[in-house]
Order: sequence, then structure tokens, then C-alpha cells
Amino acid sequence: MEASNEDASVYRLDDERALVQTVDYITPVVDDPYIYGQIAAANSLSDVFAMGADVATALNLVGFDGCNHKAEVLNEILQGGLSKVQECGGIIVGGHTIETPEMTYGLSVAGFVHPKKIYRNNTPRVGDVLILTKPIGMGVLTTGIKADMLDAKAVEKTADILAQLNYKASLIMRDFDVSACTDVTGFGLAGHAYEMSGKNFTIEFDFNSIPIISEAIELANMGIIPAGTYANQEYVSLHVEVKKEYQNEIFFYDAQTSGGLLIAVKESDTIGLVKRLKDAGYEYSSIVAVLKEFSGTSLVLR
Amino acid sequence: MKIDCRGLACPEPVINTKKSLDLLDDNALLEVLVDSNASRENVIRFANNEGLSVSDEITEDGSVKITIVKGFACSVVDPDGDKFLNKVLFIKDDKVGEGELGSKLIVGFLKSILELPKLPKTVICVNKGIYLTTKNTAAVEILQELEKKGVEIFSCGVCLDFYEVSDELKVGVVGNAYGTVESLLNSDGTISL
Repeated sequence: MEASNEDASVYRLDDERALVQTVDYITPVVDDPYIYGQIAAANSLSDVFAMGADVATALNLVGFDGCNHKAEVLNEILQGGLSKVQECGGIIVGGHTIETPEMTYGLSVAGFVHPKKIYRNNTPRVGDVLILTKPIGMGVLTTGIKADMLDAKAVEKTADILAQLNYKASLIMRDFDVSACTDVTGFGLAGHAYEMSGKNFTIEFDFNSIPIISEAIELANMGIIPAGTYANQEYVSLHVEVKKEYQNEIFFYDAQTSGGLLIAVKESDTIGLVKRLKDAGYEYSSIVAVLKEFSGTSLVLR
Repeated sequence: MKIDCRGLACPEPVINTKKSLDLLDDNALLEVLVDSNASRENVIRFANNEGLSVSDEITEDGSVKITIVKGFACSVVDPDGDKFLNKVLFIKDDKVGEGELGSKLIVGFLKSILELPKLPKTVICVNKGIYLTTKNTAAVEILQELEKKGVEIFSCGVCLDFYEVSDELKVGVVGNAYGTVESLLNSDGTISL
């Protein structure tokens, strides 16, 4: 099965099962090694959930900076990662560590899905509504943490969002008439929505309905915006028709780490899905866009 | 000041800009050299958010030079500026002019200063002027009021010794020649009596 634009690779084993594989790793985003481990794991696992699959096994991928960190730090990171793999019913079956000048951690994940129940990222329908399960602003916030410009409370808030698994959201969406799903990561909300449009649809966003963390807006005004976000803007904005100017438009392009799911769902299922998501702890879940016939531009911001 | 932020990743150019601005005096220029659009946008955002005027230009080698002005020339506020005139009152005698009238006039003059909306920053008493901070009770009372309001009052040490009233200084502190000259030269104007 070919799926080059998908979030993870999918390999059909038989009529009942397909193997889903993905790998990702990141450099530290917070100082606490246990929480960094949790965030890196949540980030790695996310692609499996975006496909509508269940996690089976995971392997640790560690680049350890032994010159600047004690061995206990490595143990803490791995414990953090393990806690997240266990949370979604998976097991860690091994891994590999090498010495690197900068710390990296992530997982290689294997999961299973029924071949007919795979959620692709570019198969929405006209009239569907897009729901985003986590707030935007993680790129700016993690840059703010690196700059030491966030207070402890805001760091904790950011870390909680980053470490939250998309596991339950993935389970919940399977109960609704969902046509497409992806997770919002490095390409930002605009970039991943552009992928979803596949140049076949126009996705119309209501900018004011996109949940953005307020601390991130303050940081952005001070110029604490990662280069990846600007790169996204430079590339994706070519496909965006801006109907109204917004001061914080840059957040449409903010590169996310461990972002939420972007779910295309039948309009009549919207309220039920948002309610279930909020009840399950995805408090920022919001309707952010509607799917329309292609009208010349992939994305519209109004 | 000039700083080179070429090759640095976000958020370092902004952090370096902030640190450099903190070191600079008001109305000074900061030139920040960057080589990526992200750094350019971020540094300009930061400057705008701080309310500073900022401009940028592309240099010969393709880098971007961002120029930031710290503060505004027309609206810089000296915290003490509202209260004081940067002027020194230099008093060489305990009279204005001759005789009894001269004694009355100097007291009246000092009293009038008390009523002014802006006070002189410094009063320096030399030669017989030091009687105003020692033996002249009426003048001492007025100068004590001025001192309470933050006016610096100096009496010339050599003069106090010369007239043998060093023990009788009732207001202000003993000044020296160096401090006196410094005050006179740094002020925007000296009123000499």
C-alpha cells in the first residue's frame, strides 16, 4: 500500500490487519528530563493515532549527550517515555542509544489498524467541518522556554499540552463520521491543512476560532518566533487567500511539536464530537474550518 | 553599538538585541546584523513591541542591517527633571549688594526661590556666603527647607576654616574645590550672587 504523503507508513498484512510504522525524535523542549521524555514520546506516538491505529510496540531512539548530563538523566527520560507508551496500551521492546553532542529522544512505533478503517489525511468531503483538538502556539512557546522568557506556571501549562497524548482523541473520533485526519506538527496548522486540501478542496478557516495560548501571543509580539514558523509562512502563504488581516496571523503557520489532531467530520456530528473531546480532557477542542469546493486557493483565512 | 547576529538561531538574535539595548544609554543607536528572514522579522517585532523606532536595509553581502533607536529624542524624561532645573546657585557673599539692605535682600531672594515651581539642583556657598549656612539663622531656615526638597547644599571647606565657623555648619555638607568646579561645569547654567 502506497501512502507517501501520509503521517505514517501503512503495510497491509491481511484482510484484517495493516501494520502502521512511524519514527520521530526531538531535542529537549523543557528542562525536566522526565517531562521531556513524555513529550518526545507523545510526539512520536501521534502519527499512529492520526491514522486511527492502535499502538503495539515502541523502540527507544536516544542520542545521549554524556558530556553534559549524568546517567540518571537518561533514565528519567526513558521513564517519561515509558509512561506515555504504557498510557496508550503499548510496550517498549528495546531501543538504541548513541553518544551525540546534543540530546535527542524519540520512538520508533509500530501499531495496527484495520485496512478499511485507516484515516487518511487528504480525503475530506465538501461540507465537512474541521476540528482541532489542541491549541496552537507550541512553536513560539518552546522557543520562549529556550529563551528563558516564560514563568514557571506558563512552562507547566505548555508542558501539559505537549505531553498530552492524542490517544483518546483517536479512539473518540472512531465513533463519528470522520472522513480524514492528520496531526498538526512541524508544518503548522496551515501546512497540514494545505496537505489535507490536496488542492482538491478549499478549506475556509475562521481565524478567531483557532485556539491560541495567550502567553504565546505575548512572546510573538516580542519576536520570539522560531525560524520554522517563518519558513512555513513563506511556503504555505502562497496557497492562502487572506480575506481579513489579523495581527497574529503568524500563528496560522506556527510550527507545532506534539500538536493536536485535525479531524474532518460530518457537520451533523460536530457538536457530539467536540463534547466528547472536551469531556476527555481536550479542553481546547474547537471547530476551526469548513470544507468547500475548490475555488482557486487551498486555504482561506477569514 | 553594533552587534553581529549572523548565523544565530532564534531566539538568540532577539535575546542579544535585548541585552545590548539594556546596556545602551537613551537616544543611542543599535545596529543589529542578521542573515535570515526569521531573525530580521523577530528583531523588528521586538523593537516595535518595545515602542522603539526601527529601520532595516540590505547590506552589500546580502545580510540585513537593522537600526534601532533607543528612546525618543523628543520625549526622554529625566525622573528628577520635572522637579529641578539643572542650574547651580553660586553664592559668594552673605549679602546682595552693600549694607543692611544687602542682608535683607539675600534672605528675600532665597525665600523667593522656595516658591519657584522648579528649584535649582545645587546651591554652593563660598567665601562669606558660608555665613548663610552657619550664623545667619533666617537664611539657614530657608536653606534647610530647600534641602528637604532635595536641593544639594555645599559650603566651601576652606572658607569655613578661614572664618572659623567649621563647627557651626547647620545645613548641607562641606564641599571641596573639585566638586564645586564639577557642579558648575556640568550644570546648564550658573546663577552667581
